[in-house]
Amino acid sequence: MAISPTLLLSLLLFTTFLSVSLHHSTADPDSDSDSESSDLVTELLYLQSQSKSGVIHLNDHIVSRFLTSTKTPRPYSLLIFFDAKHLHSKTELHLQDLHTEFSLLASSFISNNDASSASSLFFCDIEFKESQNSFSLFGVNSLPHIRLVGPNVKNPKDSEQMDQGDFSRMAESMAEFVESRTKLTVGPINRPPMLSTNQIAFLGVILLIWAFFFIKKLLTKDTFLHDWKLWLLGAVFVYFFSVSGAMFNIIRKMPMFLVDRNDPNKLVFFYQGSGMQLGAEGFAVGSLYTIVGLLLGVVTHVLVRVKNRTAQRVVMGVALVISFWAVRKVVHLDNWKTGYGVHAFWPTSWS
Amino acid sequence: MADGESSREATARTLRNAFGNVFSFFILLLIGILAFSIRLFSVIKYESVIHEFDPYFNYRVTQFLTKNGIYDFWNWFDDRTWYPLGRVIGGTVYPGLTLTAGTLWWLLNSLNIPLSVETVCVFTAPIFSAFASWATYLLTKEVKGTGAGLTAAVLLAMVPSYISRSVAGSYDNEAVAIFALIFTFYLYIKTLNTGSLFYATLNALAYFYMVCSWGGYTFIINLIPMHVLLCIVTGRYSSRLYIAYAPLVVLGTLLAALVPVVGFNAVMTSEHFASFLVFIIIHVVALVYHVKGNLSPRMFKVAVTLVVSVGLVVCCAMIAVLIALVASSPTKGWSGRSLSLLDPTYASKYIPIIASVSEHQPPTWPSYFMDINVLAFLVPAGIIACFLPLSDASSFVVLYIVTAVYFSGVMVRLMLVFAPAACIMSGIALSEAFNVLTRSIKFQLPGSSGISQSGDTSMNTEGEQNDIAKTEKMDETAKERPSKKNKRKEKEPVVKASIRSRIERRLLVLPLEASVIAIILLVLLGAFYVKVACKVDAALNVHASTLEKSSRVGRWKLVHCVWAAAEAYSAPSIVLTTYSREGGLHVFDDFREAYAWLSHNTEVDDKVASWWDYGYQTTAMANRTVIVDNNTWNNTHIATVGTAMSSPEKAAWEIFNSLDVKYVLVVFGGLVGYPSDDINKFLWMVRIGGGVFPHIKEPDYLRDGQYRIDSQATPTMLNCLMYKLSYYRFVETDGKAFDRVRQTEIGKKYFKLTHFEEVFTTHHWMVRIYKLKPPKNRIRGKTKKSKSKASSTSSPKRSGTGKRNPWH
Repeated sequence: MAISPTLLLSLLLFTTFLSVSLHHSTADPDSDSDSESSDLVTELLYLQSQSKSGVIHLNDHIVSRFLTSTKTPRPYSLLIFFDAKHLHSKTELHLQDLHTEFSLLASSFISNNDASSASSLFFCDIEFKESQNSFSLFGVNSLPHIRLVGPNVKNPKDSEQMDQGDFSRMAESMAEFVESRTKLTVGPINRPPMLSTNQIAFLGVILLIWAFFFIKKLLTKDTFLHDWKLWLLGAVFVYFFSVSGAMFNIIRKMPMFLVDRNDPNKLVFFYQGSGMQLGAEGFAVGSLYTIVGLLLGVVTHVLVRVKNRTAQRVVMGVALVISFWAVRKVVHLDNWKTGYGVHAFWPTSWS
Repeated sequence: MADGESSREATARTLRNAFGNVFSFFILLLIGILAFSIRLFSVIKYESVIHEFDPYFNYRVTQFLTKNGIYDFWNWFDDRTWYPLGRVIGGTVYPGLTLTAGTLWWLLNSLNIPLSVETVCVFTAPIFSAFASWATYLLTKEVKGTGAGLTAAVLLAMVPSYISRSVAGSYDNEAVAIFALIFTFYLYIKTLNTGSLFYATLNALAYFYMVCSWGGYTFIINLIPMHVLLCIVTGRYSSRLYIAYAPLVVLGTLLAALVPVVGFNAVMTSEHFASFLVFIIIHVVALVYHVKGNLSPRMFKVAVTLVVSVGLVVCCAMIAVLIALVASSPTKGWSGRSLSLLDPTYASKYIPIIASVSEHQPPTWPSYFMDINVLAFLVPAGIIACFLPLSDASSFVVLYIVTAVYFSGVMVRLMLVFAPAACIMSGIALSEAFNVLTRSIKFQLPGSSGISQSGDTSMNTEGEQNDIAKTEKMDETAKERPSKKNKRKEKEPVVKASIRSRIERRLLVLPLEASVIAIILLVLLGAFYVKVACKVDAALNVHASTLEKSSRVGRWKLVHCVWAAAEAYSAPSIVLTTYSREGGLHVFDDFREAYAWLSHNTEVDDKVASWWDYGYQTTAMANRTVIVDNNTWNNTHIATVGTAMSSPEKAAWEIFNSLDVKYVLVVFGGLVGYPSDDINKFLWMVRIGGGVFPHIKEPDYLRDGQYRIDSQATPTMLNCLMYKLSYYRFVETDGKAFDRVRQTEIGKKYFKLTHFEEVFTTHHWMVRIYKLKPPKNRIRGKTKKSKSKASSTSSPKRSGTGKRNPWH
């Protein structure tokens, strides 16, 4: 038997839902409104249970069914996240991040509230390509966009828009927005832990066992930790990483390069102005910083042990030329970028 | 005959040693003088005046200390700031700097040298930078010998990053703290090399001084445990390590808890937990080594399993307790600033007031070139030199530079901690390079080859012997540390060794001509460094004030060339100068003018409101009560002032009136082109205000995301108090109201103030002071009276300012 009982059950439910909705859409609008609204809530609850995170996926049809064709006051509010799949590739909009935060908010709200209050606010998302009519209905023309449709809102355009500031700080700030507008409590946001408790316990045990063997090994002084070359490599790498301003790139989320505004085929690697830098620029100068020191170190500590005089000469010549070039380059770049120049000792007429 | 020769040689060696010692003593003296005098440019160019913002507070505290004595200082409750809250000064400042300067002043006075407190304060930083370079010498000498020590000291004396924080007049905690930091590290290394309890005790005392001086002491109390752990893990445990570490933790923590501002934080916060954890570990390890010494190898194997398993269980329990303790506090026991070091994105997400300060920004690569200059090129060579051979001391220096360089990458302010490490590393690198290169030249010069081949060992100079000792050490005993004791040991069998090493030395040289070129290039590099150091003299101070949005702000337009820009930035920021096209000097002394006006023309108990940047200066120079100051401990209070500045006139008046404010002070640079004025800081006022009072919204002040004050500006912007107070009557200056900082004509030129009246504007309009008008009285008869009174008191002052202003 290939069809599992749950699937069967959901199919059954879906058919009933369809029939119910058909029945309602054909029914007289002046029929008993109480029962109608409670039906709507049940449907919404059903739709909610269909999705994993508790976010109802809307389309033009559902929007008209639950928002435009209903009477106010509705017994529920809707918080709608406007999504567009084709914009997911634009990372600066953070649509996907915001959507996951939004789903977190939804699941936390559902788990933190009992049935009665959970049925007064529903979380929905809507996709641009599928439901362009709804987007124009709400008058949404820029993303990210989140709207709260309260029980008394007749025209969707009157619904309240969540400010940029409210969703900038993730699910917590969205929760604040919801709490301030709907008088509901969202409760703490339940973020799924990075690792489940079982995994943590497993890792803990492994770590403990490994630590035991490791300490035993340590006493025999024969591990990678005793290899000074590794430490040297690590130290130089951290140095390179820091002087190249990589932390700046991480904190400010700088791209590696920019596309020239005037000429899209050209890439800009160096940014003029001291307060900012691009990723590639930092790494380039960072390696210039590092290479000079490494060459000096190699010459003073390794090259002196080389017996071949010609080899020494060649290597030293190359090292000197590279170092000279690197220092000149950095001085020049610094002068260009910040505008601070350093004059030489000799009079200006000499140079 | 052999006896006589060797004794003659011995006396010659002692003579050379003595000569070398005297020589290095004089070099050190010169380095001290260099470090001191290079920092005096600001006094020569301007005057003996205290700089910036925070130093004014320190100065005020020092004045109080010298006047009232230490006990009153300890219990001082200051009602002149943070009105109406006040501030407990004695319990919230790091007293190290104040006590140091106070002691200096007292000492000088008891020697009948009558200096003012201000003079002592101005010169504290240069004096301590001389001390710092001597401490660097000591530290580097412990790691790699005298030559490296002297080089490192001379580099530190003029490293731009440190100069910028320790010019005469920048009387701040860092001035003494860097010395304390290096000296603590020196004593730690010294203890590690000698195993002497005497130095261990001194180390704890130096640590105590550091805790007194600067919050950066947490760097020490985390770095040293890290090093101890590293030594243990890499199998370098010794009793010397134990002596160096255990007393420091016990004594150091006890002493640290004596400082009121630290108090129980010394045992309660996570910053200190690492040291306790390592304290436990080192005891376990010490026990293991003790047992190992007493048992036979086979018995030991059995014992190891026992001890390790028991120790592991104990450790796990301890760690679990610690984690539980830490996890129970909301910030996991870490302060915001420390957290933003571990998770660099933390501050920008959660703490705008930390993120808003420009010295908490991450640096870009030009900052490194600006701050440590060519040292950035030399550091990797120093790291390599420290690994060849790796000793306890050199591994500490490597750890120091790695952590410091990482932290400096997160916060530009910590460049100051990184700079000494960079100097030490570069000193080592330079000295090793010079060692090799000069040796190569010396033994390959045509004249010298004959002598050296004849095998006359007694012709060796001191330097060469050191070289031999060093190369041998490299080859044979990679773990030996170059402390004094060892050196002596190495030197004993010098006659035997030198014959053998003569062959070796012939090999350990580089080609002559290449060495000459290399030396010339290195000297050029050094000359470049010295040149830059002189240029930076008073350096580009990173202001501890609200971030200046440099994207919108052009550079100061009055300056004509880069050189002058560097000079203008070097200003004490209380007095500013600029050169005119003809070469004349123009001085802007508006700040002191304004503060003097306040102190002469207002009541002693009047409250003055301004943005927090000017709080310390107002209390110190005008002696008036302020609402907020640079000690940003109460975000809500700052947000209140920010809200008032961003509100329309009436709402702002109500806020200020509720705080008993009489005068409002704004800094305005539009007339002369002074870029760090209040209009440029204004967005931060809006942000910080809006963080607490949601009705202030940043988008209301921005037109399409752009911050502008011209005709395109939003109505909210044009009606807010800051705009009005900055641009009131501005159009009367040139008829067009052209703002020279923003490079645009302002949006709203003609307006009147209803709730404020202008009482004073300085010579160049840089500081403008307004008085809150008294509330309108409802009874008719009295309204007239108060009006006539107000006009009679204020009108002469206003006419006075009109005359003062030369720009009409």
